[in-house]
Amino acid sequence: MNNGSAYVSMRDITKIFGTVRATDGMNLDVAKGEIHALLGENGAGKSTLMNMLSGIYIPDSGHIFIDGKEVKFSSPRDAINAGVGMIHQHFKLVDILTALENILLGQRKGLLLNKKEHETKIKKIMDKFHLEVDLKKYVYEMSVGEKQTLEILKTLYRGAKILILDEPTAVLTPQETVMLFRIMRRMKEQDCSVIFISHKMNEVMEIADRITVLRKGHTIKTLPKEATNPQELTELMVGRPIDLSIKRVPKVTDKRVLKVRNLRAVNEEGVEVLKGIEFDICAGEILGVAGIAGSGQKELCEALAGLYPVKEGEILFKGENLVGKTPKEFITRGISMSFIPEDRLGMGLVASMDMVDNILLKQYHHNKGLLVKRKPAAAKAQEIIKKLDIQTPGINHPIKNLSGGNIQKVLLGRELDSHPELLITAYPVRGLDINTCLKIYDILNEEKQKGVAILYIAEDLDSLMGLCDRIMVISNGEVTGIVDARKVTKEQLGAMMLGKKEDEYAV
Amino acid sequence: MKRLFTVVLVVLLSLALIAGCGQQAPAPEGPKDEPITVGFVYIGPPGDGGWTYAHDQGRKYLEQQLGDKVKTIYKENVPEDQESEKVMRDMIDQGAKIIFATSFGYMDHVANVAKEFPDVAFMHCSGYLLGENYGNYFGRIEEPRYLSGIVAGMKTKTNKIGYVAAYDIPEVVRGINAFTLGVRSVNPDAVVEVRWTNTWYDPAKEKEAAIALLDAGADVIAQHQDTAGPQVAAEERGAFSVGYNSDMAAMAPKAYMTAPVWNWGPYYVKQVQAVMDGTWKPEAYWGGMKDGIVDLAPLTANAPEGSQAAVDEAKAKILSGELQVFAGPIKDQSGTVRVPEGSVLSDQEQLEMKWFVEGVIGKIGQ
Amino acid sequence: MQFRVVRKPDVTQKQYTVIMLIAISLALLTSGIFILLLGLNPISVYISMVNGAFGSPYRIEQTIILAIPLVIISLGIAVAFKMKFWNIGAEGQVIMGAFCASYLALNYSYVPRPLLLLAMAVAGFLGGALWGLIPAFLKARWDTNETIVTLMLNYIALKWITYLQYGPWKDPNSLGFPKIANFTENAILPKFLGVHLGWVIAVILVVVMYIFMNHSKKGFEIAVLGESYNTARYAGVNIFRTILFAMLLSGGICGLAGMIQASGVAKTLNVDIAGGVGFTAIITAWLGGLKPPWIVLVSVLFAAMVQGGSFIQSAFGISAASASLIQAMILFFVLGSDFFTKYRVVINFERPALKKEA
Repeated sequence: MNNGSAYVSMRDITKIFGTVRATDGMNLDVAKGEIHALLGENGAGKSTLMNMLSGIYIPDSGHIFIDGKEVKFSSPRDAINAGVGMIHQHFKLVDILTALENILLGQRKGLLLNKKEHETKIKKIMDKFHLEVDLKKYVYEMSVGEKQTLEILKTLYRGAKILILDEPTAVLTPQETVMLFRIMRRMKEQDCSVIFISHKMNEVMEIADRITVLRKGHTIKTLPKEATNPQELTELMVGRPIDLSIKRVPKVTDKRVLKVRNLRAVNEEGVEVLKGIEFDICAGEILGVAGIAGSGQKELCEALAGLYPVKEGEILFKGENLVGKTPKEFITRGISMSFIPEDRLGMGLVASMDMVDNILLKQYHHNKGLLVKRKPAAAKAQEIIKKLDIQTPGINHPIKNLSGGNIQKVLLGRELDSHPELLITAYPVRGLDINTCLKIYDILNEEKQKGVAILYIAEDLDSLMGLCDRIMVISNGEVTGIVDARKVTKEQLGAMMLGKKEDEYAV
Repeated sequence: MKRLFTVVLVVLLSLALIAGCGQQAPAPEGPKDEPITVGFVYIGPPGDGGWTYAHDQGRKYLEQQLGDKVKTIYKENVPEDQESEKVMRDMIDQGAKIIFATSFGYMDHVANVAKEFPDVAFMHCSGYLLGENYGNYFGRIEEPRYLSGIVAGMKTKTNKIGYVAAYDIPEVVRGINAFTLGVRSVNPDAVVEVRWTNTWYDPAKEKEAAIALLDAGADVIAQHQDTAGPQVAAEERGAFSVGYNSDMAAMAPKAYMTAPVWNWGPYYVKQVQAVMDGTWKPEAYWGGMKDGIVDLAPLTANAPEGSQAAVDEAKAKILSGELQVFAGPIKDQSGTVRVPEGSVLSDQEQLEMKWFVEGVIGKIGQ
Repeated sequence: MQFRVVRKPDVTQKQYTVIMLIAISLALLTSGIFILLLGLNPISVYISMVNGAFGSPYRIEQTIILAIPLVIISLGIAVAFKMKFWNIGAEGQVIMGAFCASYLALNYSYVPRPLLLLAMAVAGFLGGALWGLIPAFLKARWDTNETIVTLMLNYIALKWITYLQYGPWKDPNSLGFPKIANFTENAILPKFLGVHLGWVIAVILVVVMYIFMNHSKKGFEIAVLGESYNTARYAGVNIFRTILFAMLLSGGICGLAGMIQASGVAKTLNVDIAGGVGFTAIITAWLGGLKPPWIVLVSVLFAAMVQGGSFIQSAFGISAASASLIQAMILFFVLGSDFFTKYRVVINFERPALKKEA
């Protein structure tokens, strides 16, 4: 089948990692001037497929055609030469350089850079696509949205006519998302093709022209947006009917478990990152935390868990001040608090170790004597696998080889196993597919019903509004409002995330 | 884990393969009519152009003279520590029946290994230990050193001669004294300044020491080292030099005048023959010029006028026994008479010499 | 035409075997050409190398003697490397261990043998441990670069022994030759089954370290810290103390190896007491995957290569430099093959696609 109108055509693409078929004979056709969404759960093969189109991976078999001509890429440079550029979730920018310098970086055309000439060329592209970038601004001064725009500009400048965006909205505020969509539409008008990887149904429905659903390494179906709906897409993605709504269970008690008063902390550079945070959480309540990335969420969590130095203030857990206590004291003194950090493999778990050792991480302090006891940990591992339905070849398999969702379940399973009274979760569903997200929401609700107080930090406003009882918005280290999740609107949250104190929403 | 297992398996298989081939190769140890194996332990490489070179010439002479009856093995750059014992044991493992250990520092180790292997004959060069199956051998290099001192003493204009020396052990001290006596026999005003390097074989360090001496006003350099480093220094500075061990003319054509040299070959042949004949007995051998084990290399055009005649005259006296290097009267550095007129230092006294004669600038045991 | 290095996904067992086989064949082939240039038959030289390492009980003993320090020091290095603390100061730790043990051996030779040897072992351990604690403290407190600090401490240790050997500790009975006095019988490790007791210590250490690294709390904490600093903090590991403890152990084991070398092999102290084995052990520790049982195997093979290399020198009259070159070539190919298990080289003969006009 050769689609005559296809600008990009991938045929029978197979890529094998070890024994796993990441993509198994996948096909994809993208037309000129089209926004094409790739929808799929984690592990469906979206990123792998796109990494092959952008030259990062080399397909084991299959063909890629661009504008009717077959191409073989062995590096991203080959791909960009053929007009394919990819914007990754982690930006490839140099912080200490300006926007302009970042764009010109690695352009090896002649010995001397003719900045003026390049600048005019860049300005032309900015006009054409309505991109707003201050070329003289340093990257470290930029917001996430600005960085993303810069990445897009950089890629377009290098000659990309086919732009791949890997979950671009995951790091953006609602306002920034609107901006991004505007840029994408403009690119479409300029006859560029945009491939948009996402698992956020509402965004896909808003922006895409056509949608290709992937599942477990296979192309399931390509549909025009008009001809489908979220329910159908979700069922195609998951492979079975599914209920999409997030359940909210009623708040259980009014017993305050945690009181935080005037919490202040400074980072290594001496900049104040937490500026007098105050809030309470009740047993059986989910308090959401919303904010633009880097507003102090990470520092707040770590400070609560005893991992970040607190300069001033009190963290009162059932009346006891935790400030100054170490994580080991939490664990050994039975302070029943659990922290699910955002960086699962960088903080919560050890990637190269197996499940047993990762469970041991929170148990070994209780082992008597000099040796660790792996047997109880192994039993726990089996139990958690069963309880949370974790897909793994076995408890002795390094967890880095598990999918993101399963890794998160391991972490969650371990923490819930200690029956905490307070659970701090930072971005527990980040990067996970709908199915797993729902599973994790269920788990959190279950805990809530048991009377656990939950601090839920997330970036996805839908889940915050659907799951939480109250939402605390922080901006630049300050609380800009604590609002009732049932009454607040996205726009109000967005405004508070940008620093607008909206006391009238508070309950 | 699996991966490592593969590495090991592969390596083992390769080893097994090679070892398998090895089955067909003849075993190194052979029956009676096989040649006798002689092991040489060298402190430096045979290409040092000095001490080890001289011994290696002796080894080659041995092979040349005894032909099929002897097989020689050697190991170079053997440090003067526990490693030397391992080298000797390895050689015995490879069939060596005679071992020549050719540096002073091997002495204790020779004694250690010799006690373990009573059937093997050990000969240690330049030491003094003697046992059931180990002896020592050396030559009276003092005699040609004395002659080279005559050449140096006649050459110097500044009346200061530099002497680059290895360690302050009796062997080296004796050489410095003999050289100085030779110098002062023709030039009573000249002094000999000593620099210790604490190495036998370190070209750079030895060259540096020579440069320091030249900077201090010396115009002739002599040496007790295994390399030609000091010769090169003299050449570069336009000074003159006396070598050691072997003819060093090639390294310093404009500076080199002569050198006390070794000729080990005949001695090695004699010893190995004695072992083969079953007549070998450990001894403390100390041959002189008349035995041919030491000599003075031919004088070059750099040598001063009249020095050839002076050397010839003294050499004739040494050969006839009329001249003995350490015959009194000899004063030490403080001016005290250590060897009165009419007496000669005994061999034992020479072997334990720990003092400098008058005219030497330098200290022992610093 | 252009060359490009491309990352490979995980290689399979079969591919790995093939790569290793090619590496070893290439090593033998390349050194073979070199041996031919020396005018010798490569096959007989290789046979002779194996024969020299394992050909007789004596040779096996010698190979074991060479392997003992490699095994012990590799174990010490493995502890630090497990924590991703790049301790390349094993050489210095060995030397300082030997120094402390020698101090007792030279000054308390009248103490009964078992007691003296035990005291020497403790002193050796402490000497190496203290030398290892310096970079550990600097790292834990001020986050200094341990690679540079440990490397530089090697030279300080080496020059310290040189100073002693040529100065205050020079044997007065050596007629001025710069050597330290030989140990008396009391301070020398006895032999057991033909080889000095060091091998028994090595075997015990292998078992102990296996248990330590796989089953002890401290070993677990060291491994967690090595994998992720933040996870270690999260799990309540005391980072400061763990770094210090790991280096105390790492340096101590190396120091113990120093004591064994001084007491069992050299029977004295000298500047060559470590003789580079502290660096060689880095290779064996790494090739052994930091796992005690594999370290033993790799160390023995490595020792065999050195012993075989020494054998061919005297057997064929090959110079020391040439023998080292052959060993280095084998090592180069085996270590270098690791690269090809992770990457492959792609050669493009034409540009994949032409850039269109913008």
